[in-house]
Order: sequence, then structure tokens, then C-alpha cells
Amino acid sequence: MKGGIRLLKTKKAAVQLIFIAAGVGMLCYGVMHGEADSVLGKAIRLCLECVGIG
Amino acid sequence: MDKRENKKSQFLGHYRGLVQVGATLLTNVHLPNFLKGGIYQGKGKAVCVPGLNCYSCPAASGACPIGAFQSVVGSSKFSFSYYITGFLILMGVLLGRFICGFLCPFGWLQDLLNKIPCKKLSTKKLKPLTYVKYIVLVLTVILLPALVVNDLGMGDPFFCKYICPQGVLEGAIPLAAVDVGIRAALGTLFTRKLIILIVVVVLSILFYRPFCKWICPLGAFYALMNKVSLLGIEVDGHKCISCGKCARVCKMDVDVTKSPNNGECIRCGKCVNACPTDAVSFRYGFGKEKEI
Amino acid sequence: MKMKMRAKKVFALAMAALMIFALAACSVKDDVSAGTSADDAKNLDDAVKIYKKLMDEENKILSENQELWEKVFAAADKRDMTLQEDGKNYGDFLMDTIESAKDSFSADELKTLKEGAKRISEIENELTKLEEEYPEVREKAIDSAMDASGDGSMSVPADSDNVDVSKAQKFPAFDGKDFDGNKVNSDKLFSKNKVTVVNFWFTTCKPCVEELKELEALNKELAKKGGQVVGVNAFTLDGDKQAIADAQDVLGKKGVTYKNIWFKSDSKAGEFTTGMYSFPTTYVVDQKGNIVGKPISGGITSDEQKKALNDLIDQALESSK
Repeated sequence: MKGGIRLLKTKKAAVQLIFIAAGVGMLCYGVMHGEADSVLGKAIRLCLECVGIG
Repeated sequence: MDKRENKKSQFLGHYRGLVQVGATLLTNVHLPNFLKGGIYQGKGKAVCVPGLNCYSCPAASGACPIGAFQSVVGSSKFSFSYYITGFLILMGVLLGRFICGFLCPFGWLQDLLNKIPCKKLSTKKLKPLTYVKYIVLVLTVILLPALVVNDLGMGDPFFCKYICPQGVLEGAIPLAAVDVGIRAALGTLFTRKLIILIVVVVLSILFYRPFCKWICPLGAFYALMNKVSLLGIEVDGHKCISCGKCARVCKMDVDVTKSPNNGECIRCGKCVNACPTDAVSFRYGFGKEKEI
Repeated sequence: MKMKMRAKKVFALAMAALMIFALAACSVKDDVSAGTSADDAKNLDDAVKIYKKLMDEENKILSENQELWEKVFAAADKRDMTLQEDGKNYGDFLMDTIESAKDSFSADELKTLKEGAKRISEIENELTKLEEEYPEVREKAIDSAMDASGDGSMSVPADSDNVDVSKAQKFPAFDGKDFDGNKVNSDKLFSKNKVTVVNFWFTTCKPCVEELKELEALNKELAKKGGQVVGVNAFTLDGDKQAIADAQDVLGKKGVTYKNIWFKSDSKAGEFTTGMYSFPTTYVVDQKGNIVGKPISGGITSDEQKKALNDLIDQALESSK
């Protein structure tokens, strides 16, 4: 019983670590491919219709 | 359960309002722009903020993750955003819906609106509506911007353009107030969104956080991540006397003793402060879970 | 209990600090340069005050040595120079005239005149900056000055008509190129058209791209009336080759034949464009290079915006007669 809960705990910890790694990895990948520049471009030059002004 | 740990948890619950003020200010640091007109155009806007905050807001310090996602996915160059998805996954694992409860300006607005005294209606029987936000997320944020494109492969940011009330409140209205050109550009699209904003405001006075529960795509994503988030709530089975106070005080209709990391829980801490035996507390860390 | 009190104080302090930080964050770059710089203008009222201050200073310089300056103006008349070439700074014009007539002045007089012209040149730059940020500032400054002093003499150039008109909300001058590599100069461009419609857009802006076809149709229509449409893609400033290629791709797909131009981002027009935050934006410019009315924000595809645009075009054609 105790062993079962322990397994669950480590399983959950592993999943969390995987998500963190995935999150960081995807973030860096996206930045490297110019996605952050694309975001910046749209955020400082408002396409009026895109934010519902029209 | 550490008495000390619980004190910290209760502390967090008590000062949530102040944290919300601080978070809203940090998310919208460039306050003078409200009078000047215009928006912040610095490099900070390449970074996303954790809550729902439109980059058309004159004071906005960063980019809205939902808006940014749609703009990347709607451009002809990309059909998916790794940067934003990675950011959201990271935020989800590190904080989960704590962001909704403490760091989102629109969430704070709904909290304030709900304080207006009047007859309050319960959302307990409207639980099925909580699934609508997932449809909003998948349809208007992910699929439509990527699939409904013109002959150049460009798509519209559907959620931002047709639905988001936050954009109307903190973007369209302040900008139109100061800029004559933008005022002249307001048409049927704006009117429709304004109606949505008014409906959300009215509903927020009657119900608790209706937008967060039923519509917000960002909340929907973080809800999915609540189960794997490092920040969670735990109930000490040894101390719990099953009095049911926590479930009664919860405004998100969650029974924390049954599902402490439910997707609907925004970590507001009301249950922590309501528990007579200090059995409920926040916890932060990997895989820790006390037995119930 | 004690902890709560202390914590409350700490939070209150933190919030106060945050508020001060937030309010200061945007004003950090406003320098304390005697309050007569265009950057000090935080709103229209400030801008009007500073504009008047600067104009008063310019008048003072000219009236302090009125006889000397009148000699300069006489020299300008003699050489038959047009007073205000579009886009040229008044102070620079004075400097040139002084240079050409330097033989008729003593060394001391030259020194005074040159210093004056230099300061006027600086003032003109600040005035233009203010006009770019607040197009109504000139009118407001003149109005309030007229109220204060009955005679409304703003500056002392020989040909006052020309100056008034050319100072009224001029489109910022530029020397750029179109996408085919041909040089484009703003004065030449505006003066050869009865009306020029300048449309600002960028490549990833969907409504901007959607209205390109309409602008192309407008271009053909204007050609019959002696006008044209010109596009400025905000991504192509400084001649970024990839950006130009992307823009040309879009223009080709939408069947656009009218000129699209770019210029350096540190030029007056470049700063004007970079400062723009809402797109698409359309300006109507008359033959003299003045902006007619207010810019149109948002797409010109809706009926109201179309009407507004046509009204501005008619206004420009009227003033260009």
C-alpha cells in the first residue's frame, strides 16, 4: 500500500518534470524560430480589426 | 500537518486582494499612456504575461498569451506556436490556476464586481457550462485562426476579434476615448463586443466569475494543467472532520476534500481559511500528496 | 496579531512603491531640459505651451536684431530664393542666405546672425516634432497667442503667406526608394500630384492586406483626377530586403500596381511611421505637402470610412486648385 502511493508520487513528479522540460523546450524552440519577434511585431503595431476595433 | 505551513496558507488567502492589485499594476505598468494615447512599443511586449491582458491596452507591459497565440497561428508563416504553448505549459505546471485566482486582471475585475451588493445566484446547477470554455479554446483560439485563412494563408484571431471583453474594456475604450481617429473607426464589430462586455459585467455581479468558469480559454488551458501543477491544495485526512464547510464556502463549486486539484479550483484559499481544524492548506512541490 | 499588522504595513509600502514605479516607468525618458523640448510634452496642453514658448523664442531672436535680419531677408529676395522649400528647415534657410550674403556683414554681425540662425534651426526641429505628435498644436498655439496679444504676429519672415501654409501639419519629409529601387523624394512626389493618398500597412496585418484591392481601384480612379495612392509598409523601413520581398509577394498576389516606398527609420518620416501604433492608417496629402484633415484609422472598406476618405480627397483637390 505504502509502496503503491510512493510509486504514484514519483510518477506524478516525473510527469511534472516532463512538462517543465517540454514547456522550456518548446519555448526556446519557438523563440529561435522567430515566433517572439512575430509576437512583438503584432503587439506594438496594432491591427485594429484584430483587437475588435472596427 | 504543520501548523506553520497552514499559517502561511491562511496568510496567502487573506492577502489575495493585494496580490491582485499588484499583479494588475505590473501587468499594466505604463499608466501614463492612458492620458497620452498610444501604446507601449518597447521590446518588453515580446514577453507574455500570465493572465488575460490585451496588448492593445495602453498601459500593457507585455503580450496576452491568448492573443499572441492567435497572431502567430494566424500568420502565413506559422500554423502552431511553440513559444506560446511552451510558455503556457510552463506557467501551468509552475502555478496552474493560481494565476486565475491571484494574477489575472480580468479575474480581479470579476471579483470586484461580485462584491457589489445584490441577490447572488448560484452556479452549482450550471456545472455543464464549464465545458464551454474548452470549446472556446479549441475552436476560436486554435483551430479557426489556423484553418480559416484567406488566399495568402492569413487567419483572423477569432477570440480576440469577436469575443474577448478584456480587449474592449482596457484597449478599445481607453484608446477611443483619447484618439479621434480610433473613435471614428468604431463600427459594428466594436458594438457587438461591447454588448458581450456589458453582459459579462452584469453576469459577474450576479454570479461569481462567470467568465472564468464558462468562457475564458486561458482559464481552460490552466484548468487542464491544474492536476500536474506544482502548486496545489491538500487536505490532511487526519485532521478533516468532514464538516463540509470548505465545499459550502467554495465559490467555484469545488469540493476540495474530494478533488483538491480540480480544474475549476482557482486556488483562492477560501477553503483554507474556512476549515475549523486547519486541515486544508496550499502545497508547493513535486509529486507530494498526503493521504486522505 | 503582530505579524498581521507588520505584514499589512509591508504590503502597503510595497503597493505604494509599485504605484510610484508604475507612474514613473513611462516618464523616465522625459529629460529635464528646461521644459522647452518636444519630449516634455505629455499631452496636447503641454505641447501647446511648449510650442508657444519656442515660437516666442524664435521671434525674440529675430526682433532683437531686427535691422540685421531685415538685411538678410533683403538678400534672400534679391537672390530670388523661394522662402520655404518644402521640407527645409527655416533656420537652415536663414543660414544659407547669411552665407550667400556674408560679405555685407561685419564679423560681429555674422557671428550674431549665425548663432541666431542655428538656434532657430533647433527650434524649428522641436516645433516639427511637436507638430508630428500633436497635429493640432500649431492651430491651438496660434489661437491662444491671438487671444493674448492682439496682433498675432507669429514669426517675421518676408513672405508670411507661404510660411503659414507650409507649417500647417506638413507630412514629414523623406528621401526614400520604391520597391523597384527608384529614388523617391517627398516634395517631388506630392507636388506632382493634386492629391496623394498615403496608406500605412504591414505585411502580417490581415485587414491591411484585405483593403489593398480597394486601394488599387482607388489609385486608378485618382489617376484620372491627377492623384495617386502610395503605400508605406512599416516592416520595410531601412530597406530590409526580406521584408521588401515579403511585401512584394503580398502586393503581387493582390494585384497592386501603385508605388510602395520605404525610407530610413531615423528620418523624420521614419520616426513618424515607427511611432504609429494602429494599422492600417491612411493619410491624404495635398499638392503642397500638407496633411488634409485627420488620418483615417482602420480599413477603408466600410461605408463610413470610404465617405471620410472621399471627403478628404475632395478637400485636397480643392486646396490644390
